[in-house]
Amino acid sequence: MGKSRKTIQIVILFAVLLLGGYAIWAALFGGDDAGRPEAGGEPPSFTLADTAGGVQSLSDYEGQPVVINFWGSFCEPCVKEMPEFERQYEKWKDRGLAILAINLSEDTLTVNNFVSRFDLSYPILRDVDRKIERQYGLRQYPTTFFVKPDGTIMEVVVGGMLESDINERVERLLEL
Amino acid sequence: MLAVENTKCECGHQNAVGTVLCESCGKPLDAALQQSSEPLEMRYDGVARRSQKSNPAIIDRIWNFFSSVKIAIYLIVVTFVTAMLGTIYPQESSFINSFDATTYYEENYGTPGKIYYELGLSHTYESWWFIGLLVMIGTSLVICSLDRVLPLYRALQKQQIRKHHQFILRQKTVYRSEIAGDPKEWVEKFGAQLKRKGYKLHFEEGTGTALLAEKNRFSRWGPYINHIGLILFLLAVLARSIPGWQMDSYVSVPDGDTVPIAGTNYYVKSEKFNVEFYTDDELPEELKGTARAKKYETQAVLYKCVANCDDPLKEPELEEVMDHNIIVNDPLVYKGLKLYQFDFNLTPRLNAVSPILEDKRTGEIYGPFYLPMKNPELKHQLGPFTLEIRANYMEFALDSEGKPTTLSREPNAPAFIFSVKGPGLAEEGEPYIYFPMQKDKVKFAQDTINRELAGKIEIRVDGMENVDFSEATTHLNVRMDKALPYLWVGAVFSMVGLILGSYWQHRRIWLRVDGTELALGAHTNKNWFGMRSDVAGALKKIGVEIDPKTLDNGGNNA
Repeated sequence: MGKSRKTIQIVILFAVLLLGGYAIWAALFGGDDAGRPEAGGEPPSFTLADTAGGVQSLSDYEGQPVVINFWGSFCEPCVKEMPEFERQYEKWKDRGLAILAINLSEDTLTVNNFVSRFDLSYPILRDVDRKIERQYGLRQYPTTFFVKPDGTIMEVVVGGMLESDINERVERLLEL
Repeated sequence: MLAVENTKCECGHQNAVGTVLCESCGKPLDAALQQSSEPLEMRYDGVARRSQKSNPAIIDRIWNFFSSVKIAIYLIVVTFVTAMLGTIYPQESSFINSFDATTYYEENYGTPGKIYYELGLSHTYESWWFIGLLVMIGTSLVICSLDRVLPLYRALQKQQIRKHHQFILRQKTVYRSEIAGDPKEWVEKFGAQLKRKGYKLHFEEGTGTALLAEKNRFSRWGPYINHIGLILFLLAVLARSIPGWQMDSYVSVPDGDTVPIAGTNYYVKSEKFNVEFYTDDELPEELKGTARAKKYETQAVLYKCVANCDDPLKEPELEEVMDHNIIVNDPLVYKGLKLYQFDFNLTPRLNAVSPILEDKRTGEIYGPFYLPMKNPELKHQLGPFTLEIRANYMEFALDSEGKPTTLSREPNAPAFIFSVKGPGLAEEGEPYIYFPMQKDKVKFAQDTINRELAGKIEIRVDGMENVDFSEATTHLNVRMDKALPYLWVGAVFSMVGLILGSYWQHRRIWLRVDGTELALGAHTNKNWFGMRSDVAGALKKIGVEIDPKTLDNGGNNA
């Protein structure tokens, strides 16, 4: 009888550890869908169409430093940043830097006009119905996520940046 | 091993460590307790808790921690207090629109608000420590119950009928007297009276001079059934953190739009939103002249995505699953998904226009052509004219450099720039800006911008039938709670247990006759008045008239 009692004790404590552990873990790290992912966290995955007719996923860039920038033609600081990102992309792309500029669910003509006006060569992705934007919990534009090669977020910048700000962060991403 | 407690009773029964009253004859085991004449503590019939051991190991120590009712009470008190603190200011989760929690509490409630936020009380119920407390209460519930119910069950299952005199005479209801005649007959007669009151009788085999009469034992299981209910309830609450089990979000649907419901495979379309306001006649004096909604209703259609749901290059394929007119308190319900009417916005939104092109020189009219605000066809052939859309703006404005730009992504002040080719126009096309809304046409001076082209052609909408707009936007509250049925089951268990434990009492009467000497003791968990009147009533029936009050042996019984 003593032996079965011990087994029951272990089984129950183990079940508690499992269930309770899951609940506490979920409270600590999960269930935070509404909030914006922060530095140290992982950016939500996405698969979106680009302006060249292809499909791009965040997972395509595993192991690479990635800059995820949310932009819209209606947001003046976003517009100002785009040529800066283009120059940074040209400067660092040989070192493996990827820039993914996610448009904030605007229509095709608007996006295409914009891209050709600035002659952008990095991928421009098309969010639809604000899906990805919501997953990233955006409240202000532009918002830029600097993602390290290990897939964790190094920094989240809300608001426009000067080219030197971008350059400094990219250098940190590339560990120069 | 050092000193092992002597747990063997004089009746020869070997008791477990921690036993208070011998499991067999009921004699107190502790020497000090034997000397006293106070009524006995009958909790769990004096049996040892299951986990009591002479030398506990680590697992036993954890087990004993949770097995303690004292700890359980502390846990409950701490949980209640923190749950109360969580109600002082609004919780972060109660805000629908995005707001900045880092500044909100300080701005609205000053320093206490800042402290509140810093302490994490603004999200009390989702915090890891609050969940942790619930988990600990749950653990305590399971272990406390298990440790007590099993020994109690065993103790009640095999009760010794002839109890020790100390046990009988130290009950809180006691009767002692000399009887005349055959003791066996007396016991049988008395037993027959108890039987009429619903007691189950157990006579001592052979002699027949000892009796255990018992009723409503099932009420002892009430608290444990209640605990099972509470555990189910807690598990259901914890299950809500499983992805997809619970959601509480909001979706805005302009008339005619089909919008995905985030986190699900569903899309919702609002065919039309209707609002009725009270007329002034229906309103009291002080509210006259104000807009008071009487009824608001969304004619909603729910779709399920059946193909291409995650393919960004293809349009998702939708299949209608349900339609329902949602009004307040009458949500659309489909497989656990509920859409409640929450709010509305009566700002109209322009969706599309069907303008015509007039050649002002000939008076000839071409068209109309369909021009949606978003993703329009880029090329239109109208008679001899070719229209190519070069640019579109949702909310037209000029930026700091004087270039056309848009201020938002909603068609609040839409504008299109066409390149027009046709008779009498430049070979490479001439630019023409078109504002579908009259107010913008005036505000931005369309004709001035278009210069001489404005004298040759005009793009305009003839009549409201060529305008497609959403009159209103409905805001729906999306809810899903798969844990709810389990919560109900838990609540029912809990209630049944509560009723079992509250409305019935477990009553037991022990008696033994040694020669002519009768010793009777009775025990119940509450309603001692009833217990005493049961005993006195049965005695009266066999000719022993006593005042029930004289049965009271002390011990603060109601």
